Amino acid sequence: MDWNLLGISFITVFLSELGDKSQLAAIALSGRGQSPRAVFFGAASALLLTSLLGALAGGAVSELLPTRWLKAIAAVGFAILALRLLWTQREDPAANSAASTK
Amino acid sequence: MNRDSVQENSPSISPQLEPSDYVTTAQAVQPPLETKKLDSALTIFGTTFVTIFLAEIGDKTQLSTLLMSAQSHLPWVVFVGSAAALITTSLLGVLLGSWIANRLSPKTVERSAGILLLLISVMLLWDVLQG
Repeated sequence: MDWNLLGISFITVFLSELGDKSQLAAIALSGRGQSPRAVFFGAASALLLTSLLGALAGGAVSELLPTRWLKAIAAVGFAILALRLLWTQREDPAANSAASTK
Repeated sequence: MNRDSVQENSPSISPQLEPSDYVTTAQAVQPPLETKKLDSALTIFGTTFVTIFLAEIGDKTQLSTLLMSAQSHLPWVVFVGSAAALITTSLLGVLLGSWIANRLSPKTVERSAGILLLLISVMLLWDVLQG
């Protein structure tokens, strides 16, 4: 095991991801407090898969996959999540359950 | 004897429950709502996974990972290092998010989370237009 390389890759990735989109997304998504554990596992496994692809495929990833389109799809996905949060916030879960028991 | 006195005392020490706490406990007891909760955990896992995966693919972290693995010819060492870093950053993000959520009112949290997600969406669109 090349510990030097391990340390360098850890520090590089850690610093470049600190405060980046995916960490902000993890903050925003876990803020709803429903299931922070699910957010953590979802975020961590997605990031693991992207770095696995990065490590294995080398420079071929952007040639193999339409990364611009995937990014555009992700942008739409985040926008939908955002709008759903901003729109449905007036729905009170307590009021809903009270209404359903009547 | 001691144990009994502790038990007698414990109700008075216990923190006051807010009405919302009772509601959530009652919801957790009902089986249909519990399965609904599991469903929503899976949904949250799925949406988080898909959005972050799509957002991060071809992003600068992945590019630096693949550059390092190409230079070093030791892709697995680079993968382990970057995987550990990514797990740490997402753990920090989730911990920070839940810490903030416990401090602010749900309405404020939902509104700021919505604005933050919109911001991420704009950042991604900016990347798409630039690339």
